[in-house]
Amino acid sequence: MNAILGFGFVALGLAASIFGAAGGAFALLSGRLYLLKTVRQWALLVLVAAVGAFVVMEVALFQRDYSLAYVSSVGSDETPALFNFAAIWSSLEGSILLWTLVLAFYLTAVVVKFRSRSNDPLLGWATVVMLVVCSFFFALMVGPANPFLTVDVPPGFSGPGPNPLLQNHILMAFHPPFLYAGYVGFTVPFAFATAALITGRVGEGWLLETRRWTVAAWGFLTLGIVLGAWWSYEVLGWGGYWAWDPVENASLLPWLTGTAYLHSVMVQERRGMLRVWNLSLLSATFTLTILGTFLTRSGVVESVHAFADGAVGPWLLAFFGVTSATSIGLIAWRGDQLRSPGAIDAPVSREASFLANNLLFGALAFVVLLGTVFPLVAEAWDGTRLTIGRPYFDSLGRPLGLALLFLMATAPVLPWRKASAEVLSVRLFWPAVLAVLSMAVALLLGGRGVYPIITFGLGGFAAGAAIRQVVLATRRQGWRGLVGRTNGGMIVHLGVVLLAVGIAASESYKSDRTVALGVGESASVEGHEFTYLEPGADVNDRRLRTFALIGIDGDDVYAPAVTTFFQAATRPVPTPSVKSGLTKDLYLVLDQIPDPDDDSIRLRVIVRPMVMWMWVGGALMGLGTVFALFPGRRRRGTEPVSAPIAVDDAAIELADEGDGRPDDRSVTDLSTESDVSTESDIEPEPSPVGGDGH
Amino acid sequence: MTSSRRRFLAWVGLLVAAFGLLVVAAVDRGGAESDSERVQRLADSYACPVCSGESVAESNAAVAATIRQFISDEVTAGSGDAAIRDRLIATYGVEVLLNPPAEGITTLVWILPVMLVVLGSVGIAAAVTRSSPEGTDPSAADRDLLEKARRMGR
Repeated sequence: MNAILGFGFVALGLAASIFGAAGGAFALLSGRLYLLKTVRQWALLVLVAAVGAFVVMEVALFQRDYSLAYVSSVGSDETPALFNFAAIWSSLEGSILLWTLVLAFYLTAVVVKFRSRSNDPLLGWATVVMLVVCSFFFALMVGPANPFLTVDVPPGFSGPGPNPLLQNHILMAFHPPFLYAGYVGFTVPFAFATAALITGRVGEGWLLETRRWTVAAWGFLTLGIVLGAWWSYEVLGWGGYWAWDPVENASLLPWLTGTAYLHSVMVQERRGMLRVWNLSLLSATFTLTILGTFLTRSGVVESVHAFADGAVGPWLLAFFGVTSATSIGLIAWRGDQLRSPGAIDAPVSREASFLANNLLFGALAFVVLLGTVFPLVAEAWDGTRLTIGRPYFDSLGRPLGLALLFLMATAPVLPWRKASAEVLSVRLFWPAVLAVLSMAVALLLGGRGVYPIITFGLGGFAAGAAIRQVVLATRRQGWRGLVGRTNGGMIVHLGVVLLAVGIAASESYKSDRTVALGVGESASVEGHEFTYLEPGADVNDRRLRTFALIGIDGDDVYAPAVTTFFQAATRPVPTPSVKSGLTKDLYLVLDQIPDPDDDSIRLRVIVRPMVMWMWVGGALMGLGTVFALFPGRRRRGTEPVSAPIAVDDAAIELADEGDGRPDDRSVTDLSTESDVSTESDIEPEPSPVGGDGH
Repeated sequence: MTSSRRRFLAWVGLLVAAFGLLVVAAVDRGGAESDSERVQRLADSYACPVCSGESVAESNAAVAATIRQFISDEVTAGSGDAAIRDRLIATYGVEVLLNPPAEGITTLVWILPVMLVVLGSVGIAAAVTRSSPEGTDPSAADRDLLEKARRMGR
């Protein structure tokens, strides 16, 4: 019953996506724009189908309907409700189902949000593109990744449940949906970019239409990645949070190109430049999410995340190829309209620093991509087997990351077009003081080594620049100085600084020792006393959990454990126990169960400073993203619509030299958003602080 | 002393301080590398053969423990880094190295990113210098206007 119903919804979704896409394309190509209204109905039907299929699968999981092959492989009688709910995305078919559900929500949101403009060809094409993407994912579920296949099971059968690693922490309920909301969210700006290319309306209008969507998708992706790192740290018991695993890298790639886009799009909004580049970045971000899914889901790489199943590989690779080729073709076709009307005036200016930012993010993305796929390429080329791991990514990523921190400090204070040394020396002075203070404090607290100390210094520098902007903005505008893209962006920057400092400290100053302890014995590690109080075990019908009670410094008791699942034929899973603190984490792991003869244990004690800063930084990045989504200070009056006019450098200098305020919007500020339609329900660009003339 | 001169001196002071702090951070490393530090450093640079992405130092797998023990024994016996490396490669293959060697086709993973950054920087530099458009230098009339505006503003 569930199988028929579920597959029915999937088939309905496929049909609705195809009919909607074809109908929309027909209406657009034949000029019968009044037909575009019907596309909305198809889109709603897609949502109904996706929600229906998802609900049917959840119902089947809770009914323990093992006649579904998927339920029989990830469900079990014993799985607790929360993990049973989350079991839907613990394997291939269900994760495609989740992907499709999120996509259907985004599609519906776009259609509803822009319902008053359903006759607009740009919107029409964007919807068609999204429907085409929907068709592909529904087709995956009709074809090689059908979640509703049936299987015969003997009476009394109970499945193995999800992978044991996926069912011992609450974060598993959050990390995948956030990640998918981010991945899939980039479909929206991609669809609008493609629509702009098809309709030839490659001006700046579509950028404004999709800005919030892109920022929101980026925020979800950021939180998804950070939550994944946190999960890895709390659950996997290896003491780290990022293994440069191919699948982690696959999530980082679209984040890097997406971040580059969020910065370079400002150059296009302000100056009308970099159009081809921005379109390429958006296309790259979207296609990289598909490539990431290919890497994860096709079994070409080995990973904790890889649900090996060869059948979807060719489909995803083909879709990756088609979307890349289509984007490149469209950009080439519209190339003549994409020529930029402006030029960069000076090497020390906001726009030039955005170019440098993009080069660095591009280089980082390239390093991550190369390090991920090169072992595959090398093996295919001449059979060379090699590993590319942390030391490689560290040695190339560190200099790029430090250069980005430097830009984070300097770029926000740079005016557009041109900066003078005078302006910089005033605006950067207090951030520089903070930089030197950070280095001094780190040294006083015992930090050594060139890389970490430079990171702390540049972190202080960047934090100073961000705080400066927020302080000046709130002083002028009150609470509104915290919201809007510029100010929210600065909060995100502060989060990045905390993240960078946390990474540098926890990587550079970690210590890792294994001590042998009998019951009642103590060991001292890094100035802390660890006492083995007693072993223990608790058992239910699902698993045996063997733990050791460890007293830290006399009072707190922690219980690192080894969990053995009865059903799954996996090796016992070490579950760490972490004493987290603001300055350092004490991370305890049992790598095997206590000795059966005398209960002695081998306790691994990992001490990592400032890990907490990373999680706080990640949360701050999420908060800043929310602030950035709020409309900032409204612009006064009607939007001046103008073509770029001749530059007046002198006036900029006049405006900038005055008081050292972060006043980018000088008297010559130009609005190049020439085709913003007046009835657009999107907020006009919130100006950075200080829009009023002086 | 004018305020801009004071600011200049303050900047010089900040740069000197930053440089001095970095020198301290680089030089004061607390003596030579101890045996256990060396074991840690070596264990960080080899891949656990049965894990994905984890190093020998990080992994809880049995084979990782074996390799850790091997490295520890070799370090105690006074073997050099190269000798340990050669023996591990002989046993587990070149994929035991987390850092790909710069040999043969693998050199590309090191060269390509550097080339990208260099070419990209050259490209940006060219774009920025090429595009300083002629004729944006303010004319004498512009300067007069500016002077007037300034005087009015103050």
